[in-house]
Amino acid sequence: MIYFIEDSINGILMGSIYGLTAMGLTIIFGVLKVVNFAHGTLLMVGMYVAYWTVTLTGLHPYLALIIVVPVMYVFGYYLQDIVIKPIFKSEKNVREPITVIIVTTGVWYVLDNLTLMLFGPQYRSIQNNPLQGKMIEIGEMFISVPKLWGAITAVATAFAVYYFFQKTRTGRAIRACSLDRDAASLSGINQYKIYNMTFGIGTAVAGVAAVTLVPFYNIFPSVGVLFDIKGFIIVVLGGLGSIPGAIIGGIIIGLIESVGPQFMTATWTEAIVYGLFLLVLFVKPSGLFGVKYDW
Amino acid sequence: MKLNRIVTASVSAGLLLCGLILADPVLAGEKTIKIGNIIPLSGPSASVGQQGKNAREMAVEEINANGGIKSLGGAKLEMLYADSESKPEKGVSEAERLINTEKVNVLTGCWNSAVTYPTTAVAERYGIPFIVPVSVSDKITEQGFKNVFRIAAKDSWWTRDQFSFLKDMEKEFKTPVKKLAFVYENGDWGKGFASQWKKLAAEAGYEVVLDEPYPSTATDLSPVVQKIKRARADVLMLVSNAADAILLTNTLAAYKVKLKAVVASGGGHADPSFIKAAGKNARFIFDIVEWETDVNKPGAKEINAQYKDKYGYNLTGEAVDAYLSMYLIKDALERAASLDKDDIRKALADTHLTSGPGMIVGYDAVEFDASGQNSHASLVMVQINDIGNGLERITVWPKIARRPGYTPVFPKP
Repeated sequence: MIYFIEDSINGILMGSIYGLTAMGLTIIFGVLKVVNFAHGTLLMVGMYVAYWTVTLTGLHPYLALIIVVPVMYVFGYYLQDIVIKPIFKSEKNVREPITVIIVTTGVWYVLDNLTLMLFGPQYRSIQNNPLQGKMIEIGEMFISVPKLWGAITAVATAFAVYYFFQKTRTGRAIRACSLDRDAASLSGINQYKIYNMTFGIGTAVAGVAAVTLVPFYNIFPSVGVLFDIKGFIIVVLGGLGSIPGAIIGGIIIGLIESVGPQFMTATWTEAIVYGLFLLVLFVKPSGLFGVKYDW
Repeated sequence: MKLNRIVTASVSAGLLLCGLILADPVLAGEKTIKIGNIIPLSGPSASVGQQGKNAREMAVEEINANGGIKSLGGAKLEMLYADSESKPEKGVSEAERLINTEKVNVLTGCWNSAVTYPTTAVAERYGIPFIVPVSVSDKITEQGFKNVFRIAAKDSWWTRDQFSFLKDMEKEFKTPVKKLAFVYENGDWGKGFASQWKKLAAEAGYEVVLDEPYPSTATDLSPVVQKIKRARADVLMLVSNAADAILLTNTLAAYKVKLKAVVASGGGHADPSFIKAAGKNARFIFDIVEWETDVNKPGAKEINAQYKDKYGYNLTGEAVDAYLSMYLIKDALERAASLDKDDIRKALADTHLTSGPGMIVGYDAVEFDASGQNSHASLVMVQINDIGNGLERITVWPKIARRPGYTPVFPKP
């Protein structure tokens, strides 16, 4: 029983972090209606920014947020503005522009290989950081401190983003764009500026996720791919475009991955995750929290 | 039909002619012995191919400078290189060319097992001795060939040596090991190792308390670590790629899993970035490798220094075996005192090489069994530890190769 509780806690904590890694994906999809294949790569960029910030300044890994978030926001903003926007404009009559998806795939390859060239294929981790390997021990039970911090950050980020979209003027403008971009434009909202900002926000959230990962995970050029696939499953499970859906989807995956191996070999849990993915697509294609009718 | 017949006839005539030329006795007064080397000099394995080439060059320069092959009137060794590009078909055609056009006396190569396998068949057909310094696939020496001689340990010996090591450690430190946990990446490599481990564990009477494959792409390995912890194993045996090796090592440390030893299988644990990324958590891990620069054999340090001076980096397992292969050829030629391919083959089959500059490997002798496998070949076990110079890999097994003054830490504190 204690094992079950211990595994469930680990699953919820790790799952919330998975949810956070997928949140940027869901934000960008919700507004731009574009599946961003470069999302894992943006996470990777965030991890390198966090890694260098912490290694060079010796800051606490979470203080790196002060640098990582604005850097990633600006990076995402201009990535959309310079690389993706022109494609958007040339396809403005198409509701879900396929070409943009291909461009994001291009961004993924270019950034991954650029990182490989600049920093080499080495695996890095932040040595001697105050969170590394820390555990809360309650009797037999171990709870990972860096994962706990990560899970708290994930929930806090979800609330912050949700509040921003619901309550602020910019947030409402973004939602307006997501509902009907033409009507939003007619009301005087600069559609492309909103896209830039949304992409920036999505990238910044990927940066937050990166910060939660670096205290206990490795950093290497293709690290994004591992989280990319998981991210897609999570957002489909939770509903594309839904922020609470991302966190809940992440926790479901985390629980399967963490509790499952105690009853079978770890490789089987992957099969279960993909099986669940297919099942959701069959039964409820819009996901747990997705909107049933598309606008 | 007719055309076919003509082609067949001319091809067989050509082959016959080749055979006649090859059968020709060596002309008196010829002063060089041609050695053909088929190695990957371009393509994905180019860096390891270049290491093998450098080591061969260095050995041959030494042999020639010391008077060549004395029993053949001081004949010199002449090196011919062919690039396999790691492609089996390229290896085969280059072997044909080296044998028929260049008339080599001995062939060596090819590093990639997939290239060595078909290429040795060409050498066998022409009866040219073929020395395989490194290509680990078991099947290369299981073809029933008479002309193939392999220096390196084969695949199945890696797992065999891990178990011999474990037995020796138990004896040396009087610490009984009963329960083993097998955790391995879910690919050909990991599964292959695990299936041999299971057999060996049953033979040696160990209890296997955990047999757990995991996906190498896993983003969280704490569930696997929990299983290891709850299985209460004495020794954990691993097959991992780099990212998962680091993650496992760090997670094992975080969960304070108590083990008497962790035995790894090269791969990710031998990756240069492993020690850096896992840091002090990597301490006391045992890993199996072909060769390590600190191996306790006379001349090893000097030869490594000489090599590093010349080419800028340390000898690797591949380089050491390539280096040894040249001294093996020299040894066989001295005893054969003839350039007849059958005499060379017989001399190679009778090899009992125990000394000389080539013997910087971790074992005592080179001797070939009936299949052409060097029966003494073994691997070395290293332990990652910090003895004042930062974390490093220290050779601990077999005992004759152990770094002087070092006592392995077993069981893990």
